[in-house]
Amino acid sequence: MEFVSPEGLRLDGRRPMEMRQIRAEIGVVAKADGSAMFEMGNTKVVAAVYGPREVQNRSQQLNANALVRCEYTMANFSTGDRMRKPKGDRRSTEISLVIRQTMEECILTNLMPRSQIDIFVQVLQADGGTRSACINAATLALADAGIPMRDIVTSCSAGYLNSTPLLDLNYIEDSAGGTDVTLGIMPKLDKVTLLQMDAKLSLDTFENVMQLAIEGCKAVADYIREILLENTKQLQYRRGT
Amino acid sequence: MVGLSIGEKYFIQGGIAQDLRTDGRKRLSPRPIFVETGNISQSNGSARVRIGATEVIASVKAELGRPSALHPDKGKVSINVDCSPTAAPMFEGRGGEELSSELSVALQRCLLGGKSGSGAGIDLSSLAIVEGKICWDLYIEGLVVSSDGNLLDALGAAIKAALSNTGIPRVNVAAGASGDEQPEVDISDEEFLQFDTSKVPVIVTLTKVGRHYIVDATSEEESQMSLAVSISVNRQGNICGLTKRGGAGLDPSVILDMISVALSVSERLINTLDSQRAAAEAGKDEL
Amino acid sequence: MLQNRSYVKRTRGGKITKVVREHYLRHDIYCGAPVCKVCDTSQARLSATASTVLILDTNVVLNQIDLIENPAIDDVVVLSIVLEEVKNRNLSVYNRLRALCSNSLRKFFVFSNEHHKDTYVTDMSGESKNDRNDRAIRVAAQWYQTHLAGSVRILLLTNDKENKRKALEEGISAETVESYVRSLSRPDLLDLLVHPASSEDVIMEEVEDLRPSKKKIVYSEHKPLSEITSGIRCGIYHQGKLRVNRYNPFEAYVGSQSLSDEIIIYGRANMNRAFDGDIVAVQLLPQEQWHEEKSLAIADEENEEEEGVHLVPGSADDVPRTTAQPQDSAGETCSASSRPSGRIVGIIKRNWHSYCGSLEPMAKPAGSGGVAHALFVSKDCRIPKIRIQTRQLENLLDKRIIVAVDSWDCLSRYPSGHYVRTIGQIGDKDTETEVVLIENDINTRPFSTQVLACLPPLPWSVSSADLANSVREDLRQLRVFSVDPPGCKDIDDALHCTALPNGNYEVGVHIADVTNFVLPGTPLDDEASQRGTSVYLVDRRIDMLPKPLTEDICSLRADVERLAFSVIWEMTSEAEIISTRYTKSVIKSSAALSYVEAQARMDDSRLTDPVTTDLRNMNTLAKIMRSRRIERGALTLASAEVRFQIDTETHDPLDIGMYQIREANQMVEEFMLAANVSVAEKILKHYPLCSLLRRHPTPTREMLEPLLRTAAAVGLNLDISSSKALADSLDHAVGDDPYFNKLIRILATRCMTQAVYFCSGELSPPEYLHYGLAAPLYTHFTSPIRRYADVIVHRLLAASLGIHRLPTVFQDGPQLNSIAENLNYRHRNAQMASRASVELHTLIFFRTRPTDAEARIVRIRSNGFFVFVPQFGIEGPVYLTPRGEKGSGEWFVDEQQQKIRKMDGSISYSVLQTVRIHLEIVEPQPNRPKLELKLL
Repeated sequence: MEFVSPEGLRLDGRRPMEMRQIRAEIGVVAKADGSAMFEMGNTKVVAAVYGPREVQNRSQQLNANALVRCEYTMANFSTGDRMRKPKGDRRSTEISLVIRQTMEECILTNLMPRSQIDIFVQVLQADGGTRSACINAATLALADAGIPMRDIVTSCSAGYLNSTPLLDLNYIEDSAGGTDVTLGIMPKLDKVTLLQMDAKLSLDTFENVMQLAIEGCKAVADYIREILLENTKQLQYRRGT
Repeated sequence: MVGLSIGEKYFIQGGIAQDLRTDGRKRLSPRPIFVETGNISQSNGSARVRIGATEVIASVKAELGRPSALHPDKGKVSINVDCSPTAAPMFEGRGGEELSSELSVALQRCLLGGKSGSGAGIDLSSLAIVEGKICWDLYIEGLVVSSDGNLLDALGAAIKAALSNTGIPRVNVAAGASGDEQPEVDISDEEFLQFDTSKVPVIVTLTKVGRHYIVDATSEEESQMSLAVSISVNRQGNICGLTKRGGAGLDPSVILDMISVALSVSERLINTLDSQRAAAEAGKDEL
Repeated sequence: MLQNRSYVKRTRGGKITKVVREHYLRHDIYCGAPVCKVCDTSQARLSATASTVLILDTNVVLNQIDLIENPAIDDVVVLSIVLEEVKNRNLSVYNRLRALCSNSLRKFFVFSNEHHKDTYVTDMSGESKNDRNDRAIRVAAQWYQTHLAGSVRILLLTNDKENKRKALEEGISAETVESYVRSLSRPDLLDLLVHPASSEDVIMEEVEDLRPSKKKIVYSEHKPLSEITSGIRCGIYHQGKLRVNRYNPFEAYVGSQSLSDEIIIYGRANMNRAFDGDIVAVQLLPQEQWHEEKSLAIADEENEEEEGVHLVPGSADDVPRTTAQPQDSAGETCSASSRPSGRIVGIIKRNWHSYCGSLEPMAKPAGSGGVAHALFVSKDCRIPKIRIQTRQLENLLDKRIIVAVDSWDCLSRYPSGHYVRTIGQIGDKDTETEVVLIENDINTRPFSTQVLACLPPLPWSVSSADLANSVREDLRQLRVFSVDPPGCKDIDDALHCTALPNGNYEVGVHIADVTNFVLPGTPLDDEASQRGTSVYLVDRRIDMLPKPLTEDICSLRADVERLAFSVIWEMTSEAEIISTRYTKSVIKSSAALSYVEAQARMDDSRLTDPVTTDLRNMNTLAKIMRSRRIERGALTLASAEVRFQIDTETHDPLDIGMYQIREANQMVEEFMLAANVSVAEKILKHYPLCSLLRRHPTPTREMLEPLLRTAAAVGLNLDISSSKALADSLDHAVGDDPYFNKLIRILATRCMTQAVYFCSGELSPPEYLHYGLAAPLYTHFTSPIRRYADVIVHRLLAASLGIHRLPTVFQDGPQLNSIAENLNYRHRNAQMASRASVELHTLIFFRTRPTDAEARIVRIRSNGFFVFVPQFGIEGPVYLTPRGEKGSGEWFVDEQQQKIRKMDGSISYSVLQTVRIHLEIVEPQPNRPKLELKLL
């Protein structure tokens, strides 16, 4: 199948190096300590952060660090085909783990020993790149909750189809069987914290694809900073200072 | 879930007794409601409803199915609610299941009527395509994203809004299939029939705290309730379903009183929903 | 740059799901006109001087692609919506249109109207998909009109009346294709037009005047698609691809998955307007009608075409497919045919393309210059005659032309089509050669610049890096030489043979290391994979790889260092292989011998130079290997290959004769076989699921039936229970005359199907068998310059040695399969083309040389027999009764003894009998020369 037309347009009209439209909103779950919604095109996720708070299960308490937990859930209506999925299936568990590890890395857990931070990520709509969207939403929610972090973590995917590196694959492109590289970086520290890839790729191509994904992550980071700044200004305004 | 001190509890109860609730409302005035429709584009219909800090999403998906043998002339509707852990950490893992099923059952009772489906707020016979062979199955999914009390009413409103937003492709059945054969179905992808949702009820829950009952309770208020009665009422003022939760006994005369209160509250609610929807659609047309 | 998005909703069949896709609208899509002042013109394709820019409607592209391909139509804007619609409707037209868009000589510009912010149209309620797309085309045309206002005229070409009306209403200039072409005042273009269905009646009318006989429904109506699909599902109809008998267009086969046997379709009425290659729906006829097989006269009653003289078939695929049906349909037939026959009720997918041929000779029309109707006869006799309209009849009568099919109404006996282009004069060698190439789908285009860019810089020589490469063994010190046909430039194999101190021999087969230059995934590789094989015509070679590779860089020429892929065995003097190793190498051939030279050296006992000694040693080994192979049951099959001596100036054939096979040929062949077998074993061991192998299916008894019948008639009993048994009984088939054995072998060869490439994951190991070679495993490794299969095998072998990683395509089963299919198709076509080229030259040869020759009867027919002329390797019919008078009763056929006898018993001819015939070119109709065989 042709995923990039000879005119250089992808099926949805983007060019290979373009991301989908991204949108973020902070504070969507009023009762949570921090929350955010993040959209990448039709992929839409909500993240809520509770904590730092008392550790619920004492046996898990860490004396030197905060306990970071994460749960990833997909709404039944989030995919095109309606399916009732049992909670905690293998894929969800794996993504939960990925998000937890990625976020744990950037939270300054040593500042909050014997406490617990819960990150809940809910996918409302899935159209490719849910992992990335979840990490971006979680970053915003953690920031909203005021949890101390080394840096924000941003994520974006890139793939390789029709011999062209493509940024931010949507569902059709993702399911085309080509390579999909999901990358997470800490933009200030310039460190890669998450790297997942399926299928195979020659080393040269991989380098190109990864570079593209890094560019994507940086673009997301710029946007997220903008949103956070805007949010802070709002808070400042409400406080009247 | 909400850790309240004794002082706080007295404050809530006292406020209700004096018709001045902690957030400044009167006993029978609901919080403002915000409705947004069509936000889950992959569904046939969807709506997001926000009442105070409570936020729910409802989605309607339509699929072709076979009618049940008992009711060959009716389609099928299933309602299912999930509580996202984002709403409260206690919903984590399987923690939300109890509440989810309680809400699902209550919604089914209020919207779908009895087993025969005759009292349903949704006209099930309008879902039939070929009697005994093909019908539409509606899968209604609710998701609680943020919870601050009065989930049932919010879900009811969201489902009503989602149904009014639901479009179903027009189906042409190829003639000539006879006997037990499943007829060939041709689905057009352009014409979307809109549902007649005028008869779909809304749900009004009256929560009894102390000697009084209030509408649209927050989660703090719900923690102090002795019982709650949820009444589903449609635009015509007919009661479509009724559920009582909570252990305390209730004087029959109070029930009738509650119903009449519910009727007047529901009328306001339906009007709000309709006007919000009209406004949303008008806004869409301008785009 | 990202614009607002809208949702395109779609439902997918079966389970209905709503699919939502994002759709971005953009600012940065440009109009493609260099005169435009607003847009970025760096990508502009339209010409700066264009006065009119055309925008084509989908129906115009779909129906008039031949016209659009004509250079007279240029400066065209192709809308992306049109491309998309065309792609969904007809992939081949889509590919042709895409080729036009990427052709730098043509000025076709693709405008992505669906993603342009101003030309995107949203669905309106109650509007059909078609109407919406038509509207999108109009909106785009309108946009162009305002965008390029003043500088250029925008013209929308549409044959859709409604669309044209709406366009004019909206102030867009629009025309039908006909009126536009007329306005160009180029009458030859008018012939390219496909006439829309509306004018069909008129044409019909006129044609009926020409042929007053028929004014009735000739064919039954095709069933609607919905009925066909439901019919197929409940098993009333069967779906399959129609294959028409190459030698009898009134007989066709449909291989259906729902039925184990293939269904035979007899006659044009039952074929119901289907073409060869169409996907059709077939209804089985009631069983009592299964036997109505036509009697197999040389020419069929309806068939106005005669069977001509052909080359001797090389395999069963070249032979008319006749069942074991006796010819007299009266008596014993009822028992025989249990093969289902059927009739076609509908066509699911057409395989129409354009065909090569000529117009049926006809009287020149009275009013010349006007529109004339003519019947087109394809070279490929599987294709029915096609009715066309032309304004240049006089020009076309003696030309080879290409015609495309447009429609076939059930009221008309023949399909209607239109003229596409002229190739040249009938009978002209170049014209006819081009016809052969087109007919066999052979790509003769020069290699593109992208392909040529993949070549190493010239002059090329082995570099120090190559020598330093650890995987490459330096074998330059070995005495390597090659043996090939005279004048061979693409030498892909060389040999060496060294006596070892222990009395054994080291024998090496060195194959050109093509994969060192053809890297996977490059344009060069794609091109070679598409071409599949080099094609050898009598006077021309069409290369698979560009000439520098074919003749120089890869070719293992004498006295130059070349890269090779070597298979090296240690063999005992009894030719037992003790060890085998494979390595990439550098060699330096010491001699490039021809078969004749090699043979002469071996035969000349005075010579004792090292190369000759090596040759003799190898020949001894080869003989042992050969006898061992025959012992295992390999068939020594014979073919009647002919060679021409070509005049160096006119390129006309001077002499013709059977190709002589020498010991030297057999020697080289033996080592190539051994190398192929060794490599097949090696790659299969490493890659049991994705190796490319070659198999030759065991012939069924039914396939060997003609051979058995002929043999029985001459009192020969053949045992066909195994290849070994058959080989033995062929060995024992010695008749009175020396040529008898060879004749029987030729007959046996043509009963076999061809060997085919396949992917090892597709079949189970017992099916890997190569029947003819009696080898359980076989592949092609030894000719990578001219066969792509060998290139693939080289890559597999290199990967199994750990030299390279296996390219990703090998993990993709379906793709590997499609490559194998393509190779089979190309291989087959290349062979057909070679045969056709030889036939063509035979014709030219006899044009000036009527000859008498000895011939052997190979098949008996009711009105004559087929003879084989060994001297020229051709086969053709000899008529005993004049055509059209068959069944006059003068002659009768004895099926049992394969004899044809005169009623009065005075003369009889039996199969394999020797007769003398006269060969001469006759021209029964102007411009239609053919070779006629007459009994002396």
